[in-house]
Amino acid sequence: MSPSPQIKRIDQRPLREAISTRGRSLVPWLTKDELIKYFFGANAWMSIVVLGLIMLSLYSESIGFNPSRGFFGENYRNLLVYRQAGLEFVDILKKETSGIDGLGKYLADVRLKELLRLIAQGKRDGKPADQALTDANNALTPFDDYVNRLSTLGDPLNVIISPLGDAATATRDAVTDVEHKKQEKELYLRSNKKELADQVTYQEVDLDAAVKPLHDALPSIQDANVKLAAGLALFLTQPPPALDETMKAELAGFNEQVRGLMAVLPTYENELETWNPHLPLPWYKGVTDFFFNTNWLTASSWQNYYGILPLLAGSTLISIVALVIAVPLGVGAGVYINQIATPWEQHIIKPAIEFISAIPSVVLGFFGVAVLGQFLLQLSQWGILPHFSSRLNIITAGILLAFMAVPTIFTLTEDAINNVPRSFKEASYALGANRLQTIWRIILPASLSGVISAVLLGFGRVIGETMVVLLCAGNSIQIPPMSDGLMVLFQPVHTMTGIIAQELGEAERGGIEWHALFMVGLFLFVISLGINFLAQRVVKRFKISIG
Amino acid sequence: MDESKPSAQTAEVVPTKVAAPSPSDKLARLNAPTIIDINNVDFYYGASKALHGINFPIKNKLVTAFIGPSGCGKSTLLRCLNRMNDLVEGTRIGAGSIKISGVDIYDPSVDVIELRKRVGMVFQKSNPFPKSIYENVVYGLRLQGINSKSRLDETVERSLRGAALWEEVRDRLHTSALGLSGGQQQRLCIARAIAVEPEIILMDEPCSALDPIATVKVEELIHQLKQDYTIVIVTHNMQQAGRCSDITAFFYMGRLIEIDATEKIFTNPTQKQTEDYISGRFG
Amino acid sequence: MTTRAHPFRRQATVAALKETIVFWLLRAFTYVILGFGAIIFSIIIYKGSPAVFGSIRFDGAFPFIHNDFLFTKPQTLHIFRYKGELKQMSAAQYYAFTGEGTPETAPAAATPEQPLAPAVHATTEVVTPSPARATNAASALLAPATPTPPAETPAPSAAQPKIDPNDITEHETYSYAAGGIWPQIVGTVLLVIGSMTIALILGIFSAVYLSEYSKQGPLISAIRLAIVNLAGVPSIVFGLFGVGIFVIGMGWNISLLAGWFTLAFMVLPVIITASEESLRAVPRGFREGSLALGATKWQTIFSNVLPYALPGILTSSVLGIARVAGETAPILFTAAYATSDKLPWELSITPNRMHSGFLGYVEYPFLWIHDFALHGVSALPYHIYVVSSKIPQNEYTERVQYGTAFVFLAVVMAIALSSVLLRIRLRNRLKW
Repeated sequence: MSPSPQIKRIDQRPLREAISTRGRSLVPWLTKDELIKYFFGANAWMSIVVLGLIMLSLYSESIGFNPSRGFFGENYRNLLVYRQAGLEFVDILKKETSGIDGLGKYLADVRLKELLRLIAQGKRDGKPADQALTDANNALTPFDDYVNRLSTLGDPLNVIISPLGDAATATRDAVTDVEHKKQEKELYLRSNKKELADQVTYQEVDLDAAVKPLHDALPSIQDANVKLAAGLALFLTQPPPALDETMKAELAGFNEQVRGLMAVLPTYENELETWNPHLPLPWYKGVTDFFFNTNWLTASSWQNYYGILPLLAGSTLISIVALVIAVPLGVGAGVYINQIATPWEQHIIKPAIEFISAIPSVVLGFFGVAVLGQFLLQLSQWGILPHFSSRLNIITAGILLAFMAVPTIFTLTEDAINNVPRSFKEASYALGANRLQTIWRIILPASLSGVISAVLLGFGRVIGETMVVLLCAGNSIQIPPMSDGLMVLFQPVHTMTGIIAQELGEAERGGIEWHALFMVGLFLFVISLGINFLAQRVVKRFKISIG
Repeated sequence: MDESKPSAQTAEVVPTKVAAPSPSDKLARLNAPTIIDINNVDFYYGASKALHGINFPIKNKLVTAFIGPSGCGKSTLLRCLNRMNDLVEGTRIGAGSIKISGVDIYDPSVDVIELRKRVGMVFQKSNPFPKSIYENVVYGLRLQGINSKSRLDETVERSLRGAALWEEVRDRLHTSALGLSGGQQQRLCIARAIAVEPEIILMDEPCSALDPIATVKVEELIHQLKQDYTIVIVTHNMQQAGRCSDITAFFYMGRLIEIDATEKIFTNPTQKQTEDYISGRFG
Repeated sequence: MTTRAHPFRRQATVAALKETIVFWLLRAFTYVILGFGAIIFSIIIYKGSPAVFGSIRFDGAFPFIHNDFLFTKPQTLHIFRYKGELKQMSAAQYYAFTGEGTPETAPAAATPEQPLAPAVHATTEVVTPSPARATNAASALLAPATPTPPAETPAPSAAQPKIDPNDITEHETYSYAAGGIWPQIVGTVLLVIGSMTIALILGIFSAVYLSEYSKQGPLISAIRLAIVNLAGVPSIVFGLFGVGIFVIGMGWNISLLAGWFTLAFMVLPVIITASEESLRAVPRGFREGSLALGATKWQTIFSNVLPYALPGILTSSVLGIARVAGETAPILFTAAYATSDKLPWELSITPNRMHSGFLGYVEYPFLWIHDFALHGVSALPYHIYVVSSKIPQNEYTERVQYGTAFVFLAVVMAIALSSVLLRIRLRNRLKW
């Protein structure tokens, strides 16, 4: 049993010598171990590099390192050309005619209601359906005449607008053409291809000459406006022919509208007179227009707009719907599984919900297109849901996104509840609280910040999701009419993620639309960073409060 | 009390006395040469100072026990001796030096790896690797590129015999080390440590997680090992220190209070704090 | 004192009632989630599985079991009336039937060849597998009322049409609705393999650094912050990043390579987090024990930490695979082609050397790698997007829509399930 007295060491050097000699390495100033360490470190840096590259690529393709060539600069020029070429002028005129169209639409609405009433009346009187329709239309003939006369009021203006619009778009096209050629030339010059650069010739557009027809049209416009005002005044004196009292009541607002239109006519005229194509556009317009313009309009023959508001509205509404559904479900299920469920349920349901989180979003999107949208429409036809027309809308996308967010919220909530010290719970039970009271008064408050960050991260997942909204949101670029109350939820919308997915493939590389889409991406990126930041802050506070 | 001087006159090196000391010949042994020389060591965890001016020698082929209440710095000092504290973030030696065989082990020229090969360590919690018993023992040799089967077999037998484990495990060398009992695991860790043939073995409360019977076996083992190795043992258990050490150092609040021959410390300490601790009045 | 009157007897209080109601409500919430999931699964399985299992076919040719939905290329579906009789045919059958077609397609349809063979085809718009295969592909979906054209359709002569074109009326075509989804499956597999390789290498190395080497400090906090934030970046933004850096910046265009890197970086945070967790789960004692025996740091990590962390790393990374396979947005503009009439290894190699962006001139022997990696692929998720948004929904297109969704869902769910099962096994096995 006794160890051998003589130990033969592998390394025969004396201790002193052995420990004071450093190992050799490939690189003289680094040990082998340090080399390996730096190799691993370089990999770890990759995540910072990637994050940096994401920012770099988003920034350089949207705002750009030369801002005048980036989105804001281009958008500024886009808006400047809109003014310089006179599109702005023509748009003022169009507002007038659209006022008249508005009147027509008002009357058409009233007519439709009356028509339905008359048909119903006719059926009650025992007429066959088509007979009832014919009779109703006949009865409305005087009204139709009135409407037709009203609509002719805009004709003189339309006659003026049409050529002016053509002139303005022609000017705009010429200006953009020159712009392109300038860029081309600059590019050639920069790459020292002087001969090619010389071949690119262009002639600056004489803007004054281009907008001259617009100014010249002013007298005729004023003339037309006088006629229009007179015409409107005439319609004021002759109220639309009402068939019965109900219709009369419905028409009560007509005079009001006509007066309103007459009142704004001088304003428009004033705008037209003072319109000046040389009026400088404030430098920040390119930026503010992106954030506050209510239109996102691309490939339009008239004027393109790149305003994020309709997309933001769509994304936000869908996210709200999704969260309203997902938060109670996710948090509720988290509480249930952690505190109430039997061990058997815990073993089955927890993996099952994690399993759900692996369903690819495009499959959910397909499910929305193929099944859920149709199902909701069917519900509406059965009268369970209010009437709506588009099967792909906010609610379809919202439900599916909620389903996507539920596992995230569930898992994080469950974690947060799990982290509440057992002693809290035991102390509460020891004081005679029942399980619900303990959950409600002790466990939820203690895990609140965890739950909040769960909800935030769920929100992040929802707002960044692409395929479901691309397939199920209806892809109609609009700020849905909030005046409809909850019916707004059945409107089709477009989203920030969806627009990128849909339009980037068709956008010209390096063009303004391309830049605009990257700008939307940058905006999304900033939002996601913000959400992350908030979630981390909330969790950090939570850790301190627990001690 | 920063510089408590060892009361026994041990500073002189008497190299001729090294050969075959017998356990009974205590006085002779106390005059063994110094192998580790701890010089005024200050040690910091971040901003807080954990060791204050520790200053004493550790003698060759003797068992030195560090005792003291929890948090007194005895484990910290032990882990300084093979620079395991390098792995803990924010730690540093503030002042002083630790010399092993006259080499300052914190000098930049020192190869930590070589140091650790020569200064083995056994941990408080036995930490066998999830490999077979055999592979656990030869781990250190394989690291040094030794793969010859005969050499490994020989080392395994010698080390396991050295750790008094051979008889118990000789038939199952290739089964998992995790299947051993707690005491066996700890002895396996000792076998693993002596397999690389160190000169010094550091033991950090090696018996704190063991039952009394296993403890006795490990203590017997320490008795055998001290014929070949210098052993430094940290322990909570005063009887253990009394049973198996030659020299005992008492630490309190990061300071060395007293160091002396074990018998003297336990029977006639010079410092009141030592007496209070040993008689169980605190700690 | 009777048992009923003792002070601890159960009483029907308002609080107890409230408790019961709330608990049932929460239970209902939980089961609503599960129910909705079950509905999605069952509808897709019910409607999609016939496309796959209905096209299993046994015959004498190797490998004896054939599946025309899984293993053939997509084709355009032709619906028409021939002399008043409703017929449904894939493009290949249709051209065989009418005898029309471009000179390229007709001979290809005539010579039965393995469509999967890595042969170099001439470029054609219409995918042309052998007539026998194509026939059976279509027969799987034909309504009982419509007669199946016999499999032994004689090879048409390219020159003259066999039938009078005027006999064909109400001719409609649906892209992708016939044939199978083989290129999509191949593309998905290639994307997953490539991107996971990149992500695992980068991810495991980073995790080793973070868990074993790094010391607290501003740089490490910066890396951790970057990882957390990277995990929250929407996938479409990764797509934009891929476009900006790989497609344009590196000049890779829409290619497998660009897709690999985009997906790899997207899944990187998941891999790093999972790997680090597994590394940290390896007890400290393993490291200390090894170091105390004089092992270098790298020896310790390589022989005593990584081997024990690896199963955990791989298990958690399986979820990453599910994510890579399931994402569509990042590959929309980086890797996916809607129609890729050739499999990646069938791409033609025409020039001896060609210039390719960052690679400089590529010489002949390596050209196939170049063609392989710098060419886009189809992928299952993208195919689902295309067939559910770009072609109408009706009885004819249902097969490819539900069938693809079913196959895709089955693949991703199998991956996810194996992750869950592996994790349970691992938890039971590894205890130290």
